[in-house]
Amino acid sequence: MKYTVINTPLHNIDGVAKVTGRATYTFDVKLPGMLYGKILRSPYPHARILNIDTSKAERLIGVKAVVTGKDTLGIKQGIWRRYPELCDEEILAREKVRYIGEPVAAVAAVDEDTAEEALDLIEVEYEPLPAVFDPMEAIKEGAPQIHEGVERNINVTRHIEWGNVDEAFKEADYIREDWFKCSGQAHVCMETHCAVSSYTPDGKLTVWTSTQSPYYIQVLLAWALGLRENDVRVISRYVGGGFGSKFELDSAQFCSALLSMKLCRPVKIVLTREEEFTATKRRTPMYYYVRTGVKKDGTFVARETRVFTDGGAYTSMGATALYLTGFFHSFPYKWPNYRYDGYRVYTNTMPSSAMRGFGAPQAIFVSESQIDMIAEDLGIDPIEIRRRNAMTPDHEIPGQATIRSCGLVECLDKIDDWIKSRGELPPNRGIGVAAYGFMSGGIFNWFNTPYAFSAAMVKINIDGKVDLYIGAQDIGQGSNTTLAMICAEELGVRLEDVRVHTADTDIAPVDLGAWGSRETLMAGNAVKMAAADAKRQLLEFAAAKMGPNIVYDLDIKDRWVYIVARPERRISYFEVVKDAIRGRDGQPIIGRGHYTPHRKGMVSPAYSFGVQAVEVEVDPETGKIKLINAVTAHDCGQVINPLGVHGQLEGAIAMAAGYGFTEHLPMEEGKILNPNLVDYKILRAGDMPETEVFEVESYEPEGPFGAKEAGEGLTNPTAGALANAVAKAVGVRITELPITSEKVLKALKEKGEGKKAD
Amino acid sequence: MKEGTMAEMHRLKIRVNGEDYELYVKPKTLLVEVIRDHLGLTGTKRGCNSGACGACTVILNGMAVKSCSVLALQADGAEVLTVEGLAKGSELHPLQKAFLDHGAYQCGFCTSGMLMSAKALLDENPSPTKEEIKEGIHGNLCRCTGYNSIVRAIAAVAEGKYEEAER
Amino acid sequence: MIKDFRYLRPQDLQEALGMLTEHAGEAKVICGGQSLLILMRQGLVAPEYLIDIKHLEELSYIRPNEDGLRIGATTTHRALEKSKELAERYPIIPEMEETLASIQTRNWGTIGGNLSHADPAGDPAPVLIALGAKVKLAKADGTREMALEDFFLDYFETALEEDELLVEISVPPVPARTGVAFEKFTIIGCDMGIVSATVRVTLDEGGRAAEARVVLGGAAPTPLRAKGAEEVLVGEDLREELLEEAGRKASEECEPISDIHASEGYRRELVRVLTKRMLRKAWQRAAQG
Repeated sequence: MKYTVINTPLHNIDGVAKVTGRATYTFDVKLPGMLYGKILRSPYPHARILNIDTSKAERLIGVKAVVTGKDTLGIKQGIWRRYPELCDEEILAREKVRYIGEPVAAVAAVDEDTAEEALDLIEVEYEPLPAVFDPMEAIKEGAPQIHEGVERNINVTRHIEWGNVDEAFKEADYIREDWFKCSGQAHVCMETHCAVSSYTPDGKLTVWTSTQSPYYIQVLLAWALGLRENDVRVISRYVGGGFGSKFELDSAQFCSALLSMKLCRPVKIVLTREEEFTATKRRTPMYYYVRTGVKKDGTFVARETRVFTDGGAYTSMGATALYLTGFFHSFPYKWPNYRYDGYRVYTNTMPSSAMRGFGAPQAIFVSESQIDMIAEDLGIDPIEIRRRNAMTPDHEIPGQATIRSCGLVECLDKIDDWIKSRGELPPNRGIGVAAYGFMSGGIFNWFNTPYAFSAAMVKINIDGKVDLYIGAQDIGQGSNTTLAMICAEELGVRLEDVRVHTADTDIAPVDLGAWGSRETLMAGNAVKMAAADAKRQLLEFAAAKMGPNIVYDLDIKDRWVYIVARPERRISYFEVVKDAIRGRDGQPIIGRGHYTPHRKGMVSPAYSFGVQAVEVEVDPETGKIKLINAVTAHDCGQVINPLGVHGQLEGAIAMAAGYGFTEHLPMEEGKILNPNLVDYKILRAGDMPETEVFEVESYEPEGPFGAKEAGEGLTNPTAGALANAVAKAVGVRITELPITSEKVLKALKEKGEGKKAD
Repeated sequence: MKEGTMAEMHRLKIRVNGEDYELYVKPKTLLVEVIRDHLGLTGTKRGCNSGACGACTVILNGMAVKSCSVLALQADGAEVLTVEGLAKGSELHPLQKAFLDHGAYQCGFCTSGMLMSAKALLDENPSPTKEEIKEGIHGNLCRCTGYNSIVRAIAAVAEGKYEEAER
Repeated sequence: MIKDFRYLRPQDLQEALGMLTEHAGEAKVICGGQSLLILMRQGLVAPEYLIDIKHLEELSYIRPNEDGLRIGATTTHRALEKSKELAERYPIIPEMEETLASIQTRNWGTIGGNLSHADPAGDPAPVLIALGAKVKLAKADGTREMALEDFFLDYFETALEEDELLVEISVPPVPARTGVAFEKFTIIGCDMGIVSATVRVTLDEGGRAAEARVVLGGAAPTPLRAKGAEEVLVGEDLREELLEEAGRKASEECEPISDIHASEGYRRELVRVLTKRMLRKAWQRAAQG
């Protein structure tokens, strides 16, 4: 199928704005009369708030308002709206604080310095309570209870099962059981959380904010503030990164809105980098127990897994991470028997929530590590054991999902070829492999939206320029461009003919936002439908004009309306547009589309797959790991935006490699010890390995032009591949993330291969 | 400062993107605050409070510096170039064109700083090796791209694939 | 949040020293500010006066001559990194500067500021100590000199008095058959060092070590001369067991801390390995002339 727009290396449509410094982020927004806000946060991990005296702060010249929990409606909000018991977060605490950093008051003043000074003048009387920081401690009888009525701090449990695991283990020739520990991770968006809220005397609230989902923020703010949903407008045109940290209601949004409502003036709150590290949300740390049984040729027989996740102080999106980790822990293989039990446990630490991969990087790290351990024990090649069990197209996961398109085996082949091409490696070098599968958006409607998950509108103007209205959010992943490309391809025009309108809840149709890798497939389908609707209307007029034989079809490509069977007979798209608008009494052509997955199970409408090989060099005397190569073969169905996909891949490697060996959030008594960019170490330019991508083609019937997700799934394999590479390089297996050089050296010494001190 | 006293304003004369300015600023004002708040040039960003991320990088007297870590008054009499000074009207700078062609940005928040570090690098060393390019942007964090596309874009400019705009 | 201060800009060094005397105890000197501004932003330092010496050209120089080398305190790291004279005569200095922080920091930050900040994990101090550097400290009424290794008293604490300024670093000439090597261990590239080891070895005509200096960074409250390791080397031929013993001694005599980046035990191990490696490298460089 020859495409004229999709899968061509077109410039990102926001590119010029970004490279000329013209893109206005929430960080840059300035309004007349705007005040600056700061938030006072709890220094205790667990405490009752006895009293807050704001009088001194209020008297400071330049301070216009101070708010506390008493100024709120006391609504416990949460993003899992379908389950009220999981909506447990007030944001501005009223009676109790549950983690260091929880907001207790907020100030609006004429400038940031005055606001900060005012914080020091707010007197809060706390009654510290016993706190608990480890989920395995929090779950014990007698541990401090963090939320009223939640026994043993067990927030959510999940169970996934098919086949008969206990019986099946009896058939296994070889069984391994292992324990793993997966750390948290910080998102480190370059633009911190921020919001400018403006409440006006007509009772309307407008909020500029850096978010992945203007729709979610609109609904959650309206709920928490007692406003009518559509009296709240959320604007988020340019976003400096999200990665899962920005689709829940956050303290910058809530506090600035509250202050603005009190003052009827705009209030801007920008979180500092330190607040970003200590008072937002993080990737969920997990304790994994896995027991796997296989046949002696490596065929998988049964797996049972138990996971305890460190939920931190509130539910957030943690319930989703708990489910997805258990689900993707079975990917990308055909497990005849599988059982997962997950427990999310509250602790008095910063809440854990969603981060790119959403529980799958943890699950894949564990699964891929153990598969290599099994392969090693049985003397089976790592690619071979994976090939033997790989998912294939149209595979059914009993009671869970059906995999339609799946290019996994081809991915394995490509990586196998690459590894072989590397030949014999020098000493202390190793190549590790990991495979993954990931969702293209989630189906389970935990937000309880009544709307279609994605919607789009296409409007064709007299000069042929197309306005595309979408709710999908571009947070840097390039969805504006990808969706404009889908629109242009379907409608038969060029990318430069499409103008995207989004990121404003007053204008854009509802879309659930940029998370869970849903935009390309879900918003893409809505866009394709809208474009097809508009095209159909144009073709009515074209058919009348061209008068082709009734058995012939018309289509539009690259601004030409043509007879498919006789492409030389064609007329200009621009002429047809003029006819169509004239023919409809001067109205522009409008096409509408929407998409909600139906009859695709409860997890995802489609799955991407991939295999990654990471080559490392380990210094056996220090344990230091150097990344040499990272090669990925992946199947994302039809590639729509090739520059975008390539960028997502390389960015994912940097983030996932960081998760594998340099990034972590160590805490002491609930206090994060490295809340800055010097001590929290993300990869820099010189740390990146050489990267190579192999695209494996497949066609996903559920996706627009056969497309699936690309970008989140790619964060899944790297930690596992890294662990496997280190094992191959120097023969030690690290089962606790991150795989630091100290851990490697310690393991080497224990193995007796490291040089001992004399 | 002692109770009842205030900081005096000092005069700052500075040339930014070829234009001369005379401002009066408090001593504690940082160069990035002059650029963003006083002059309204918001292309330069801030991503941290500890001079670690490089999003605020500008070129001062030909050198790449982190404008959040330079007292504005130390730039008195200096020439500063920000991202807004790269393009000539609608004619983009070769680095900007290269970034577009190579998709060397995603969310774009680090992009201004990256471009300035890249320009400073190429002004000093027109034919850097790949290692030198990576060193040249070492002080600039990016969470989106994984850096390799940025390195490719800069290398392409260094290889002469983009002509300098006629001035 | 940086607190307000009064800004003073002296025209020359004498005026700067006069201001420092006048406001002793209430003033801080700012040069590049790459360390100071961070402290001020965190509220750890809030002086009434800031004396800006960044523009004092008279303190910015690199002067190698027969007596050795003199470096002015306001010389930037970048100038040291790019200096052709240093590359020829004291190449270890540009070598060390190349991996210090980032280009942006090196463009504006200065060697005097770095040494006065006295971060025990800093890179320049151990290298300069290994070279036998001295520092000249000036007050309004005179100057004094001391060995750089005596300049550091504790974490972020130097021998500078309230009214005193570091104005010059001097390095003696390098004897023949001397090799110097420096390496720091980092988690990611070009990062703050976890620990570092600098070794300087001078060989006699017979190829044995006539003099040795082993200086560790990030392994004690101040840069540390591992004298036990040095003693092991003097008068000896290069051989593997010697390197092992020197490394072991260095790891025993240092006093590293445990933090989130590395435990005390790991730091000791890194010191052992780095000392051994830099010893080998310095010896090879000395033998090559």
